[in-house]
Amino acid sequence: MKEFHETLYDAIGQNFRIDKLYFEHKTEHQHLMIFHNALLGRVMTLDGVVQTTESDEFIYHEMMAHVPILAHGNARRVLIIGGGDGGMLREVLRHTSVEHVTMVEIDGEVIEMAKAYLPNHSQGAYDDPRADIVISDGIEFVRDTNDQFDVIISDSTDPIGPGEVLFSNNFYAQCHRILNPGGVLVTQNGVPFFQIDEVLNTHKRMGEHFADQTFYSAAVPTYYGGVMTFAWGSDDPGLRKQPLEVIEQRFEASGISTRYYTPQIHQAAFALPRYVTDALNRA
Amino acid sequence: MNKRFVRFGASDEERGYYQTLVAKYGSPLLVISRQRLIGQYQELRRQLPGVSLYYAIKAFPQLEVLNVLAEQGCHFDVASEGEIALLRQLSVSGRKTIHTHPIKKDADIRAALRGGSTTFVVDNADELKKLLAYRQRVGVLLRVSFRSNSAAVDLSRKFGCSPDQVVGIVEEARGMGIHIRGLSFHVGSQSLTPDTHVEAIDRCNLLIDDINRSQKNPMNVLDIGGGFPVDYSNDQPDMDAFFQKIRDALARLPQDISVIAEPGRFLVAPAVTGIASVSGKARRGDFQWYYLDDGIYGSYSGQLFDHVLYPLQILEDRGDHEAAILSGPTCDSIDIIAEDIRLPQLQEGDLIIGHMMGAYTAATSTRFNSISNARIILVD
Repeated sequence: MKEFHETLYDAIGQNFRIDKLYFEHKTEHQHLMIFHNALLGRVMTLDGVVQTTESDEFIYHEMMAHVPILAHGNARRVLIIGGGDGGMLREVLRHTSVEHVTMVEIDGEVIEMAKAYLPNHSQGAYDDPRADIVISDGIEFVRDTNDQFDVIISDSTDPIGPGEVLFSNNFYAQCHRILNPGGVLVTQNGVPFFQIDEVLNTHKRMGEHFADQTFYSAAVPTYYGGVMTFAWGSDDPGLRKQPLEVIEQRFEASGISTRYYTPQIHQAAFALPRYVTDALNRA
Repeated sequence: MNKRFVRFGASDEERGYYQTLVAKYGSPLLVISRQRLIGQYQELRRQLPGVSLYYAIKAFPQLEVLNVLAEQGCHFDVASEGEIALLRQLSVSGRKTIHTHPIKKDADIRAALRGGSTTFVVDNADELKKLLAYRQRVGVLLRVSFRSNSAAVDLSRKFGCSPDQVVGIVEEARGMGIHIRGLSFHVGSQSLTPDTHVEAIDRCNLLIDDINRSQKNPMNVLDIGGGFPVDYSNDQPDMDAFFQKIRDALARLPQDISVIAEPGRFLVAPAVTGIASVSGKARRGDFQWYYLDDGIYGSYSGQLFDHVLYPLQILEDRGDHEAAILSGPTCDSIDIIAEDIRLPQLQEGDLIIGHMMGAYTAATSTRFNSISNARIILVD
């Protein structure tokens, strides 16, 4: 029986039965797989780490798309860095108020592979005329672009790996530069129970460029270790403290149906576990 | 260095076998025998039951070798990003590796983690500090130095803390929030007696016992390294007796200690045969010189770096034996495979067989004079 053993931690690790291998790409530099698991549906792994699964991707994508867009309230232009599987693009485009989405993916083959083997992630989002797909290195794009955005979503891999530059001080500085006033940057930031240093690093680096830097959280079952954090950077501290009624009203107006996101969860997600706030206070 | 064993002549079957390979693949060759490789792996499994075997890739970093061993269930000892890249090509999970280089850059650590290799070996506090940022993700073994008087290659001079330093380093690690999960040692390569292994196992046993009494986070791994010898001189050593002493020492460990080993030479040396041919000859002074198409800068590099004289087989045994010199193909005068050797009359195209040529042969060969390395093929 074939199994995938996640290799994030030496002392522990989750195993997944590979019921059918749909796609495997291995080079000297990376090893990517898409396989079927009876409990999770299709699972994508990169270099021994689970990237996304069909069963729980909605939690991650809804929380990274709807929280910043509904907190902003008038997001017309959205930038996605990474996100080649198409799930983020799908959720962002659900907002009819969003007029334009630029998605910057470093590897065009990832998009083609995801369309072929993870079609439920993008669900046709790549065909939406509001979507502009740019094949480029995210750090180069944010450094070179003259465009401005209301919301930036960094849907990156882990900081140990190809996504390393998307956790750099310079990346946050450039994102700040290309955000419209009142805009917000959100980034995936790992599982703090096991990776608290990632939270502390981001807090320090992102905090240098944004007046308001914090995190919000959600538990994605296959990102083992409890809640994961999303980093939040904005110059408007009020953005994450919108009254519940305002969020409810915007959510209702959007007409979007969700499976994880609710306005109540939106608000509550900014309440962080004590072990996270303690670490931030100590840093 | 061992004394050189030379065999003259060959059966028709042997001669035909080597000639067919050269006719098909050219010369020079390094021929990997799948069956011999599997045989060595199974032999070590039999000699060290219950010990997890991690093949030391550096001995012969060839994909075919790694593939055969992976199919047998072998794990791997990696020491560089390049070795991790080899395993990635074979879809071997990083879970089946241990990163054994005691001295690393941050980039090495990150590359290893990215390859899923999460168990690291350190031998001093400065190296521990490099793991601080990754302390939740990594497992750490502390390398202890035990020097062997009989090892051909001493590996305990360059790396390893002294046994006296172990408790102090474990304490220091604990202070940093890093758990050291076990001890590791390497008595040296081609260790001809098991005495140093036995001494090291017993000493580590005491150290682990001592540490586990005082630390709430117990140690659970002992890595006994490699160094298991192979027979380069046709001495036919008693390997059962050699491993019996190691088994006896391992039996004295508590049952909850996992034992791992990092064999390189033992697995691969007997599995590879070198085939070179005579390119030309000359009489110079009192010696008959024969020039081969492989030499010290190629597959025979181990004679220099690894201090091994490979058993040679001269397939054609014609005429009287006379003082001769077997030279490699490069222009350098150091490129001599054998002098002080008496050889029969060789002709251009005659094949010279090098036995036991798996470990540290191709691994250390160069491209000096832009001469191609021996072609490596897998048979049976």
